[in-house]
Amino acid sequence: MGSTSAQHNEGLGRRDLIKRSAALGLIAVPTMSFLSACASGSGDSGDDKVEKGEKTEKNPLAVNGSAPLEIVIFDGGFGTKYAEDARDVYKKTYPEAQIKFSATQKIQSVLQPRFNGGTPPDLIDNSGAQQMDMGVLVGKKQLTDLTPLLDAPSIDDPAKTVRDTLRPGIVEMGQFDGDPVWMLYYAYTVYGVWYSQTALDKLDATYPETWDDMLALCAKAKKQGIAGWTYPGKHPYYIPFSLYPFIGKIGGVEVLNAIDNLEPKAWEHPAVKAAFEAYYELYAKGYILKGTPGLDHRGSQGAWARGKALFIPNGSWVENEEAAIIPKDFKLSVGAPSSLDSSDKLPFGTIWASGGEPFIVPAKAKNPAGGMEQLRIMLSEASSKSFTSNTKSLSAFNGGTDGLELSDGLKSGVAALDKAGTNVVNPRLQDWYVKLQKEQIGVAALGEMMAGRATPAETIKKIQAFADATAKDQSIKHFRHQ
Amino acid sequence: MQHGKYRFIVGFLAVPMALYVILVIWPFIQSIYYSFTDWTGLSPDFTMVGFDNYAKMLDDDIFWKSLQHSVLLAVLLPLVTLGLALFFAFMLNVGGRRRKGAAITGVRGSGFYKIAYFFPQVLSIAIVAILFQFAFDPAQGMINGTLKAVGFTDVPDWLGDPKLALWVIMAVLVWCTTGFFVVLFSAGMASIPKDFYEAALLDGASRFTTFFRITLPLLWDTVQSGWVYMGILALGAEGFAIVHIMSVGPGGPDYSTTVLPLYVYQSAFRDGQAAYATTIGVALLLVTLAFAALVMRVGRRERLEF
Amino acid sequence: MKTTDTPPSATDAAEVPAQRAGTAAKSPSAPAKSGEGKVLNVFSHGVLVLWAIMVVLPLFWAVMSSFKTDTDIFNSPWSLPGSLNFDSWGRAWSQAHMSEYFLNTILVVGGSLVGTLVFGSMAAYVLARFEFPGNRFIYFLFVGGMSFPIMLALVPLFYVMDNMGLLNTIHGLILVYIAYSLPFTVFFLTSFFRTLPTSVAEAAIIDGASHTRTFFQVMLPMAKPGLISVGIFNFLGQWNQYMLPTVLNTDPEKRVLAQGLVELAASQGYKGDYSGLFAGLVIAMLPVLAAYIIFQRQVVSGLTAGALK
Repeated sequence: MGSTSAQHNEGLGRRDLIKRSAALGLIAVPTMSFLSACASGSGDSGDDKVEKGEKTEKNPLAVNGSAPLEIVIFDGGFGTKYAEDARDVYKKTYPEAQIKFSATQKIQSVLQPRFNGGTPPDLIDNSGAQQMDMGVLVGKKQLTDLTPLLDAPSIDDPAKTVRDTLRPGIVEMGQFDGDPVWMLYYAYTVYGVWYSQTALDKLDATYPETWDDMLALCAKAKKQGIAGWTYPGKHPYYIPFSLYPFIGKIGGVEVLNAIDNLEPKAWEHPAVKAAFEAYYELYAKGYILKGTPGLDHRGSQGAWARGKALFIPNGSWVENEEAAIIPKDFKLSVGAPSSLDSSDKLPFGTIWASGGEPFIVPAKAKNPAGGMEQLRIMLSEASSKSFTSNTKSLSAFNGGTDGLELSDGLKSGVAALDKAGTNVVNPRLQDWYVKLQKEQIGVAALGEMMAGRATPAETIKKIQAFADATAKDQSIKHFRHQ
Repeated sequence: MQHGKYRFIVGFLAVPMALYVILVIWPFIQSIYYSFTDWTGLSPDFTMVGFDNYAKMLDDDIFWKSLQHSVLLAVLLPLVTLGLALFFAFMLNVGGRRRKGAAITGVRGSGFYKIAYFFPQVLSIAIVAILFQFAFDPAQGMINGTLKAVGFTDVPDWLGDPKLALWVIMAVLVWCTTGFFVVLFSAGMASIPKDFYEAALLDGASRFTTFFRITLPLLWDTVQSGWVYMGILALGAEGFAIVHIMSVGPGGPDYSTTVLPLYVYQSAFRDGQAAYATTIGVALLLVTLAFAALVMRVGRRERLEF
Repeated sequence: MKTTDTPPSATDAAEVPAQRAGTAAKSPSAPAKSGEGKVLNVFSHGVLVLWAIMVVLPLFWAVMSSFKTDTDIFNSPWSLPGSLNFDSWGRAWSQAHMSEYFLNTILVVGGSLVGTLVFGSMAAYVLARFEFPGNRFIYFLFVGGMSFPIMLALVPLFYVMDNMGLLNTIHGLILVYIAYSLPFTVFFLTSFFRTLPTSVAEAAIIDGASHTRTFFQVMLPMAKPGLISVGIFNFLGQWNQYMLPTVLNTDPEKRVLAQGLVELAASQGYKGDYSGLFAGLVIAMLPVLAAYIIFQRQVVSGLTAGALK
């Protein structure tokens, strides 16, 4: 440990000279440009793109088959196997292409300097806790419009365009302002109230279709020493996964759209108040698992998977994430928000389902055609099947589940989508205003309300103030539902 | 000779200065410049926007909360840590039972205590933060486990409770820094000549009087540098690490634990607002400088020679 | 509260009931004086033991938890492990790449410690012993750096490193550690060099040794206590560094221990593998604790030799 002796130091003299010259060389070699944070002096965006290839039937995007391609994938709940499989297909199609494939959990810290330096990769899965702010990227014109990809013929059936093969809502989600599609959400996530059918069976209960039944079931569970609900208290932005569709169900899609559009007084709608009060009742009646406000997502999911609580607001990735601890006979299922009363605008079954894992092709990518071609490959039936079997999740490709052995949660998700039909809502706050959704509405407002430290009325006032501040802040780019 | 001297001076200063100027001074200067732009950090183009960022900052509730918490940490942490450390060091050196021929003795086993107390200091701050994150876990943590075992039924949520979270973070910081100062002050006390105490005790002073009359004044310089050192840690690296790893969010719940360095980090590397981040950083710089100046000012005393 | 005190001798024992009842006399008479010493002794032992327990208990808890199964950890925090379960240790070691992180940390901290001491002492020596224009300015430039919040420089630093090709490299991280350790080191060593006698160095110069040789062969050995002292300070600081690697070093293969552990906490937690996480923590703790216990005398004396005067 840090002890230096005299003899040691004598040796250091010589070594130090070598070190010194090395350090001097290091400082002298780069030009002055390295000293500035924004080496934007080049300004040659687009000049250094690779040459286009020849447009053919098999190659509608005119990919240059010998050009290098770089892909960066988020290494999270879905793993990277599905992306590697798709990369291998590209490799087979264009054997001359040098493909650089890397995976990281820290998308932002790895890629931020490359965007800033104008040398981003060709295809990025911009996801995870460290995702780059989409609003900033779109606002600063850092992305390629993916419309050519959507209009290209699909791999499986050249008579259909890629656009025709996607699940409802995927294209719209990629639009932030007007027609261009800036990103393609590759995973298809079902959000809702997740529970164990086995646990309900033990209580002689079915999934409660009305809020009164929900409260009655929680009371019944409480007698057995089981909590009704838990949620990730450290990340309360999980609560909206079931609360937003609940609001939409009570008051209609317009309420959610007004919220997304940051309209003044959007949160003061009676539907919001009714939904908040219903959730607050869970706390007031003691149906929330003790200690929940201090649990992170793993802690709460762990407690829930071990049967300490019946319900948890979550997304379909939970099946993969907790695969290790969800018991074999758990019968994982997802429920749509229960009906508050008969005046609800939308029927029971209304659910939030939307894209996850947004893939982007940067505006300054060297090989944007290659990036889009890789996405086109991923949207083929074979790739989608590989994704579903690897991740127990649906992809943006509409279909691709035939002949696959579906897991419990996935089966239940597909059934929930069938039941919902066209009543699928898609709140956008978490894509458009990450900070507002996660930190302000989630942690600062809903987290406090569900821990019983703020009333619904106070919470609504607080959220409205946050939303107004976001609407007012000129340094944030604003978006609206089309 | 003179010529050789200058060549030697330049030769010796070149590398340290180059490193320091390029990696420390230059980024600081750039930061101040960027705080007047609208640079996002996600694209190379930006424009000058004058004092917009500063106006936005003064109007930003979260900034004020972060500032409040940072100042609280910088004031309270050194106070508690150094107070405890002085107390323990005094106990170790003076709290012992009287033995033959010495008026002042340390407690038996003081060597053992010094080893044990120093433990937290050698653990990396990240280890400490993760360990306590689990110790304070409301369901499976050691602390609530102990409380339940003793018979408390209504146990707190600790880091999940905005009223408690910042105090938990402070307690952890105190836990891991006190030992270092115990060892430092002990060594200082050991070097104070024994006959000072002998004389005072013969005059009928109690041990506690001797602490305030002899020990503290003689250690004052060490205490003061400890104060600055501790405050800068609280305002900077250690404060950031503990909050970033331990707290809910991080920075929560309800912004109850957010501190300035964390807010800088989040603005720059999460919200894509690099320019605004540097603006908050400038505020942090001012706070740190003010703190150091204040401690130096208030702490100025007659230096006692012995 | 049981103290670790040795059993009191007969004369002391007589006084025990008196102080238990809290009737320690406050008058300045001689017998009361020894009574006061007595109370103080029990009291100080009590407090000292309490703090020692508070320090050691969490560490003990972590060690114990690393031997338990996840279910045990979930069920009760203080139950003893049913059997010594070493699987979690294996998992933590292999999955968490502990060995790599250790190696990276040792490389980074070792490299920057040597660099900091060499460059810091060179600069400090010149500033302390030579008069030249700009001396005060450079000195204050260094010392002022002590109160700069690193966080402020991080955003541009990130890009400066990137443009120099130093981002996500071990040597880049070493250079940054050195640069940010210089202010304190220069401050500390400058005052230390000022206290050293000048006669030896002057004699060496008169004997015809160059300034450089004088420094390395005469001054550095003389400055050993100060170097050890500041070296320990820097070691602790750099070992503890979390902010710099978090921002400047995001390559998973080059992680230092602190990052590796935080990552492990996230990923083991993902799998609900708490015992693995505790094992990882303990694996990271043990070598340092062992090293400290073995070298604690040197650490403590080194820490204080240069720091107090």
